[in-house]
Amino acid sequence: MSETKETGPSEETGKKKVKMNLNRLEMPKQEPEVRRRNFDEVATGYTYEMTMEEASRCIQCKKRNCQQGCPVNIDIPDFIKHLQDGNIEAASKVLKAKTSLPGICGRVCPQELQCENSCTLNKKGAPVAIGRLERFIADWERTSGAVSKPELAPSTGKCVAVVGTGPSGLTVASDLAIRGHQVTMYEALHVAGGVLMYGIPEFRLPKEIVQREVQYVSSLGVDIHLDTVIGINYSLDELLNTKYQAVYLATGAGLPQFLRVPGENLNMVYSANEFLTRTNLMKAYLYPEYATPVKMGRKVAVIGGGNVAMDSARCAVRLGAQEVYVIYRRTRQEMPARLEEVENAEEEGIHFHFLCNPTGFISDGRNNVSAMELVRMKLGEPDASGRRRPVPIEGSEYTMDVDTAIISLGTSPNPLIASTTPDLETSRWGTVITDERGKTSKARVWAGGDIVSGGATVISAMGEGRRAASAMHEFLSQ
Amino acid sequence: MFPIVAHEELAPNVHRMTVKASVVAEKAQPGQFVILITDEKGERIPFTISGWDAARGTVDFVYIEVGKTTRQLGALRPGDELAHFVGPLGKPAEVDHYGHVVAVASGYGAAAILPVLRALKEKENRITTILQAPDRERAFCAEELEQASDRLILALGSPGEEMTVSATRPLRKILANHPQNPVHRMVVMGSLCLMRVISEMTRPYSIKTMVHLTPLMVDGTGMCGACRCSIQGKNRFACVHGPEFDGHEVDGWDVLMARRCTYADESILQQSFQCRGCSQW
Repeated sequence: MSETKETGPSEETGKKKVKMNLNRLEMPKQEPEVRRRNFDEVATGYTYEMTMEEASRCIQCKKRNCQQGCPVNIDIPDFIKHLQDGNIEAASKVLKAKTSLPGICGRVCPQELQCENSCTLNKKGAPVAIGRLERFIADWERTSGAVSKPELAPSTGKCVAVVGTGPSGLTVASDLAIRGHQVTMYEALHVAGGVLMYGIPEFRLPKEIVQREVQYVSSLGVDIHLDTVIGINYSLDELLNTKYQAVYLATGAGLPQFLRVPGENLNMVYSANEFLTRTNLMKAYLYPEYATPVKMGRKVAVIGGGNVAMDSARCAVRLGAQEVYVIYRRTRQEMPARLEEVENAEEEGIHFHFLCNPTGFISDGRNNVSAMELVRMKLGEPDASGRRRPVPIEGSEYTMDVDTAIISLGTSPNPLIASTTPDLETSRWGTVITDERGKTSKARVWAGGDIVSGGATVISAMGEGRRAASAMHEFLSQ
Repeated sequence: MFPIVAHEELAPNVHRMTVKASVVAEKAQPGQFVILITDEKGERIPFTISGWDAARGTVDFVYIEVGKTTRQLGALRPGDELAHFVGPLGKPAEVDHYGHVVAVASGYGAAAILPVLRALKEKENRITTILQAPDRERAFCAEELEQASDRLILALGSPGEEMTVSATRPLRKILANHPQNPVHRMVVMGSLCLMRVISEMTRPYSIKTMVHLTPLMVDGTGMCGACRCSIQGKNRFACVHGPEFDGHEVDGWDVLMARRCTYADESILQQSFQCRGCSQW
């Protein structure tokens, strides 16, 4: 079915009448029955022809709402114009001027809330698929072998340490390297990439793509030190007192939160962090080729309604679970997960139980979980977050047999750095307090990403990195 | 890469490995641990540090061959390299002047407790150490423990029925003389079973008993929560809040022991690891 609409003269498009093509092209995906059995990427990406067709839908309006909707301010109309002209290399250069991680952003950004939400065509419900175009360009560049690099400013002689190699740290590192500063990154784990490696599953973000983009950042002259824990191997003060004029803290999410109900430590009750780290970072889905195992039962409950819960549920299906239930205490409307991921999960046969909350886990007598006690919930008055607070319905308790539970309730910040840096101001939740440009209470120290927000998206962590990098650059240029 | 500089067999299937890792050696303190990965397909596996030399930049640890990765380690020679080696992780053991300290060690603990004892000695504590081992051949580190202690008691013999262990006999004698010949503090490093039994023995006497918990870990830096333990009803992560805890505050030992064995059937090759009386078997 095809649909075109004539639009009258408008502010966005000038005087000329423009035909709007409202046929947003779907991206090909592996069939649910097939992808339930593998960890290969679910969405296989646009072909060249599809990219050209989708790019041609952009009306190049003057307002550039899409660019304003992008947390890292990518010149979206410009790269799409290059695509319309068939010049992918030029499109790639436009992308790379504002993001060093286009293959990642094109896959995991919630575009529907950002650039695509602001797209003029979204008024007709069919925004240009900006994320899919970005992904195509990044993949084209990676496979073409002709990786373009921006020109690096002459060396300033200034040294910067970036703590954590997740999306926020990588953004700061590349921004400052391009401006001529010598950047060293420190990573506690054995590979760089942070949540992009341990958290987001292979089928949503192939690890090879993450590693290529990490390599790109290091090709800008950034040193990456793995296996190094700041707060242990070097304190923040040691970094500031030795080599570095400035430090960016992007240590990420931290310690997983639990429900604090009886039986929560029984065997086969995982935190989402443990379950995903085993599965993604340690590649337990390839056990025994990779040495780390992950035990998976038959009937799995995932507690929580965010993207991490969706990732956990979808990994569980792929690891052979027969029934997977997402247990969320509010309703579908309040779920923080991306709609696209919820739909993917449903297609893969994952069941959703709304308005219920676990109150305990029951042992099989050998300290393995065998059932979960729940209570039904209803929505009450709005809480501080503006969402209606779920309240238990008295007398509605019930049990559900499960042999695996995955708790996905968010995290609280890792205390390692704050506890060894008394003059770093933190909130009562342990997150680092900064101004709007990432400056912390401590001289020469900036911070961003989940250590500041407490838990948000990859792109918002990158946006905070972008703002902090410009503030750090101003400071270093003084 | 982290080169192995020395590798010696202390007893059958028990080895001490010395690794060049100056960043770790520089900050190491008693009771802390490292996580290593043998190769890019390997697992992250924690070991308590048994010694270090900050000047030479080396760290050593003792391990028992029980599973896939420890077997792999056993085959490595000096000059070979480990892909990854990170530490010192966890909080250091609490060390102060207490008076008379009784230490109990078994297995890997015989080596891992040495830095703790030496630090306690520096604080002028009187140290009585009980080393539990199946027989004299497997009582490794006995000499070093003797040097680090005022008195070493060898408790030989296999663990018997219902978790009674040979270390309990000499400890019972020591506790019978308390408080005439007082025990001011206990430190225990060994199997979860042993640490639990010793904690229960000292509880009626209210002698502070520090145990070094060894739950399964994945990242070891506070991210995954695999190592969570219930301490006075609160979840604590052994990797960042421990691994040393007050044994009298540990609740849910059964669950802790069960969790420790989650993957025993897959990754532990030795039948003897499957303790009798444990709920998992």
